[in-house]
Amino acid sequence: MNCNVATSWIHDYLDGELPREEAIQLKAHLLACPACRSRFEQLERTEAYVQAAFSADTRSLAGSDAYNAAALTDRIIGALPTAPKKRSWTRWLRNHPAIAVASVFAMVMLSSFITMWEQHGELVVRGTDLDQVVITGNRVIVPEGARVNGDLTVENGITEVAGEIQGNLTVIDGTLNMASTANIIGEEKTINQALDWVWYKLKRTVNDLAS
Amino acid sequence: MISMEARLARLALKGDQRAFAEIVGLYQDKLYHMAYRMLNNRQEAEDAVQDTFLRVYKNLDRYDENMKFSTWIYRIATNLCIDRLRKRKPSYSLDAESNEHEGLDGYSMIPSDNRTPESETLLSEVQQTIHKAIDTLPAKYKTVMILRYLQELSLQEIGDVLDMPVTTVKTRVHRGREFLRKRLEREF
Ligand SMILES: [Zn+2]
Repeated sequence: MNCNVATSWIHDYLDGELPREEAIQLKAHLLACPACRSRFEQLERTEAYVQAAFSADTRSLAGSDAYNAAALTDRIIGALPTAPKKRSWTRWLRNHPAIAVASVFAMVMLSSFITMWEQHGELVVRGTDLDQVVITGNRVIVPEGARVNGDLTVENGITEVAGEIQGNLTVIDGTLNMASTANIIGEEKTINQALDWVWYKLKRTVNDLAS
Repeated sequence: MISMEARLARLALKGDQRAFAEIVGLYQDKLYHMAYRMLNNRQEAEDAVQDTFLRVYKNLDRYDENMKFSTWIYRIATNLCIDRLRKRKPSYSLDAESNEHEGLDGYSMIPSDNRTPESETLLSEVQQTIHKAIDTLPAKYKTVMILRYLQELSLQEIGDVLDMPVTTVKTRVHRGREFLRKRLEREF
């Protein structure tokens, strides 16, 4: 037998994994080879010492003040989040990855776009006949008796109409108050861009996922 | 039949903190001894144990009952200890990508921490030599030796914990043993 094989088998023997057949062959080699026999004795001794060291270790560490088990237990329990999170929905989402992706996407979209629209909340007034319009703060007023000869578009404001608008009135991301005297000849439209955009995006996402 | 730990884990998942305290009771000492031998530092060992339980608690819903609970918790703990070793001593990464067939003699050149905690004085000189020698081993050998001799895991279980083939575990145990043999023969 080769001495390298013998060394490898010595380790397997110490691991308790050398089959009986090989163990007999190894024994024969050890009887014939002083070098391997010496190595075997050293390794056997090492194995015993290492086992003893770790078993003594467990006893001495547990018995010493160095390790205050009770204090550590308190620390561990004390640091746990008070109520374990309701995890069932995350587990459910993990099993339905497409829905998980879609809903996360939708939430991110929704929040980011609402934030975006809110950030761009500057009042914008567009029209052909703005002389007839009174603007105070974020209020856009078409007073009683006034007549706007054309279209009027108001973004991010409160629109109050008491007079007459010859063209279309478009209110984007704002509110519209109409007095009883108001008269709008053209088309009147109120648009909530954030919601419309998100709705559009959601429909497209759902379609993409379905396809 | 499901294991006691799996049962406790299910209860803890439903919000029963006492069930989780039982799990802590079952594993705290084992994990502490392991972490202490990995890190050779009391405070760090305690922190590592706490981190382990916190991670276990937060991931109870991910525990796969087909795996032994001990395998799972040892895996989390060894990973956390190895991370700490990496962060602590970047210069000791001598071994980072060396192959399994390289000799271990070079590692004995790494200076060992000579400080002896009070608890160590209860150990014999031989035992202290062994612990110091193991502490100088690169993390991948150290971990295997600690799981083998301190936790008394089988080679197969060590493979499961570290997610590596048993043959690799075996090689590391054999090399670790040879390394210790040389250390002991030199000193005694
Ligand atoms: Zn021989």
